[in-house]
Amino acid sequence: MNRAAAPARAARRRAVPWDVVGLGLLVVAAAFMPDLLRALYDRAAVSYLSIAINALSLAILALSWDVLARTGQLSLAHAAFYGTGAYTTALMLRHLDLPMWLGIPAGGLMAVAFALLLGGLTLRLRAIYFAIATLAFAEVLKAVVHHAPTAFAGGNAGMNVAPLFRPVFVAGQMERWEVAYLRNEAYFYVYAGLLALSVLISIALQRSRLRHAFTAIRTNEDVAGVMGVRPARVKLLAFMLSASTVGMLGAVEAHRVGSVLPDQSFSVATTVLALVTPIFGGLYTTLGPIVGALGLSSVQELLRRTFSDGYLIGYGVVLVLTILFMPRGVVGTIGHAWRKRGSRSTGTPPASRPQRAGPAPDDAPPKPPSQPGGDA
Amino acid sequence: MIDPTLVLQALVSGILAAGLYALVSVGLALAIGVIGIVNFAHGEFFMVGAFLAYQAFVSFGIDPVFSLFLVAPALGLIGAGIYASTIRFVLKAPELNQMLLTFGIGIILQNLALLIWGGDPRTIAGIAYRSIGYQIGPVSVGLVPLASFAISLTLVLGLYWMLASTPTGRAMRAVAQNRVGAALVGLEVDRVYLVAFALSALLAGIGGVMIAVIQSPTPTIGLAFTLKAFAIVVVSGLGNVRGVLFASLVVAIAESMVATLVPNGDTLRNAVFFAIIFGVLVWRSRRVA
Amino acid sequence: MSAILRATSLAKRFGGLAAVDDVSFAVERGEIFAIIGPNGAGKTTLLNLVSGLLLPTAGKVELDGRDLTGLSTAERCHLGLGRAFQVVQPFPEMTVRENVLVGAMFGKPGVGRGEAERRADDAIALVGLEGRAGDDAEDLTLMEEKRLEIARALATQPAVLLLDEVMAGLRPAEARDAVALVRRLRDEGLTIVFIEHVMPVVRDLADRVLVMDYGKVLTEGRYAEVTQDQRVIEAYLGRDDEGATA
Repeated sequence: MNRAAAPARAARRRAVPWDVVGLGLLVVAAAFMPDLLRALYDRAAVSYLSIAINALSLAILALSWDVLARTGQLSLAHAAFYGTGAYTTALMLRHLDLPMWLGIPAGGLMAVAFALLLGGLTLRLRAIYFAIATLAFAEVLKAVVHHAPTAFAGGNAGMNVAPLFRPVFVAGQMERWEVAYLRNEAYFYVYAGLLALSVLISIALQRSRLRHAFTAIRTNEDVAGVMGVRPARVKLLAFMLSASTVGMLGAVEAHRVGSVLPDQSFSVATTVLALVTPIFGGLYTTLGPIVGALGLSSVQELLRRTFSDGYLIGYGVVLVLTILFMPRGVVGTIGHAWRKRGSRSTGTPPASRPQRAGPAPDDAPPKPPSQPGGDA
Repeated sequence: MIDPTLVLQALVSGILAAGLYALVSVGLALAIGVIGIVNFAHGEFFMVGAFLAYQAFVSFGIDPVFSLFLVAPALGLIGAGIYASTIRFVLKAPELNQMLLTFGIGIILQNLALLIWGGDPRTIAGIAYRSIGYQIGPVSVGLVPLASFAISLTLVLGLYWMLASTPTGRAMRAVAQNRVGAALVGLEVDRVYLVAFALSALLAGIGGVMIAVIQSPTPTIGLAFTLKAFAIVVVSGLGNVRGVLFASLVVAIAESMVATLVPNGDTLRNAVFFAIIFGVLVWRSRRVA
Repeated sequence: MSAILRATSLAKRFGGLAAVDDVSFAVERGEIFAIIGPNGAGKTTLLNLVSGLLLPTAGKVELDGRDLTGLSTAERCHLGLGRAFQVVQPFPEMTVRENVLVGAMFGKPGVGRGEAERRADDAIALVGLEGRAGDDAEDLTLMEEKRLEIARALATQPAVLLLDEVMAGLRPAEARDAVALVRRLRDEGLTIVFIEHVMPVVRDLADRVLVMDYGKVLTEGRYAEVTQDQRVIEAYLGRDDEGATA
């Protein structure tokens, strides 16, 4: 066995698996959070739980977008998968006689199906063309739902969706607010479970050889191909994994909100939230999207209460400022500084590489004119 | 069967709309060709122009025709300001950072408009010439669409002339063809970029004024127009300013045909458009290597 | 038929322009084969056709008798075709080792983690980058980056290695090291096909040389023969570039 390899391997054995530890802590914290909040804040716990749920929701959204972004696919279709999940469970409720909770995995599956479709069609699209195509796809889907027969999908007015949890008020045994509390508590656990799943997916990807495949494809798909990576399979896999969690999220939220509407369920706002959060927090990591969600969800709450229309402006500002001043995001900037502490660059680094939030520079090795239009 | 009069009407409507589309798209083509940045917020300049015209009318009674002359410099300034404060700094960054930045700017503009004007459509009501129309044979043509076609065409051709014959225009073409070379011969590239961006915003803004009279805009129309402009620019070849006129014709006529001939076509109009964009992008990507 | 790499009537047209026109050549196992020609002669396009980055308009490429037509770059890599690029694109923020690992992990199907690490370490040792294995790829000097590029390709365990102008930008001492490296690679059993502008390097390394101009093959043979060929001299001197005077 090669001498150089042994210390590296040993180091890995000794290193604390912080990611798994983090996941464990997350699960434990989630288990105790509702009771803790209740003990501390009594009836105010209801609204705190609400806030926590929103933060969880944002984290799930952010992680799912990030997984796709790791392959260099910056998708603007995220709202489409979210809406698909929402409408799947709503449609199932309306037309099929199945247990309600089945709508959640079903929503995930439908989203995956659409992801396969979209991903497959856009395989050869890069960068901005990919973004535009995904955006167009999302808008088409929204319009299709909008114009589907009203009897089938509710058309403009959408459909009502029964809640997942309906705690019963028993006079004398509980106070009124506890009904809301119990309901929120139940949803909290569902969201927490979904987040745990998202984190698990992210960690599993980071620890597997796929991580390197993702990075390679993101940096330069052609070079990756030449080294034996199969971009198509890897990109499609990322698409499917990404869609699965956001699809389920959409389904859960449909139940919690109580309705699905074309403009709400497929709103581009979802996409905006999904991409600004991990960019702010730090792309291509598990921690980044979570940090971003924690940071931004409070802002989001504040803004949404102040302005009903136009609250997204905060996100626009965050996005612009992040790209200008902190393109690596919070976690990325810290991580980069840590890597470079006391750095011993002995030579002249080749022509300065621009800091990137998105993938690396475009002036790559000989590339075929694979962009539509092909003009250069 | 399909009524030929309808087809003819659709054709004429399409042609008239093409003028406006060309006006909006040529600005995007300019930004892409000269500066090299795909401006996701381009449609928002269009939207801002529309709402400035609306507000000028509602607050000061300024007729949109005069607003054309007010909105133009206003949007030029806004464009210049945005370039100087943000875009300039990401020109050397990876393409996707640029895309995200302009996307962010677009979100800000759209939501700013939502905050100020709310989400409902705003109508510039009570203008006499809005209802004037002409009957040419079997086809009816409104004065406003006709005028906006004429104005747009004039402006687009004016831009072509400017690019071909004026020093500024030549500078822009020089920069578009060879950034480094242009800088080496002393062209202040940053200044050229600034002017190009301001110009692209200005043109889009003027288009916005016109749409405010033709339709009732909401703050969300920006995104749709960004996509339409992008589709036109891609069809004509990225950065190819001259091809925009023809591409606009193709796209506008196609859209008009769909709106007229497809049942429920009018509400589906945007969706079919997006489907076409999607289809074209995917088809082109598979065609190459 | 001992040729390990054979191109037959390869052609690539872009619209009306024939970047590569009816090019055929055969490379013997263990050979160091150079492709030279003035700028714009179509050399890189040819290499792209062989790697699979471009689809040929006509002709075919065979690796060890196996027709590569229709195979993706990844599949060609799995069959034993390695490629190092002219403009090096390491994966920045990954260490040198991680960069090479990508090649080791995916270069051949079914490579386990442990085996991949072994291949990566061997490749790094072969190019002499052990000292920098743990450093970020973006901190490397130009010469080190080129070594990394080759190590990455080596980790895919190729039978044939395609090199594109590796010498560009190197100082004379570094170029000598690079030449020694290429020889070492051949000694390890690799077949090398390389594009080069720096003539002394071609003279020192190449067993045989293919000269291209305007997308076509001008001539082929040993360095001494080829450089005496009048057509070759004209092709270089008749054009406004410094290719032949390096």
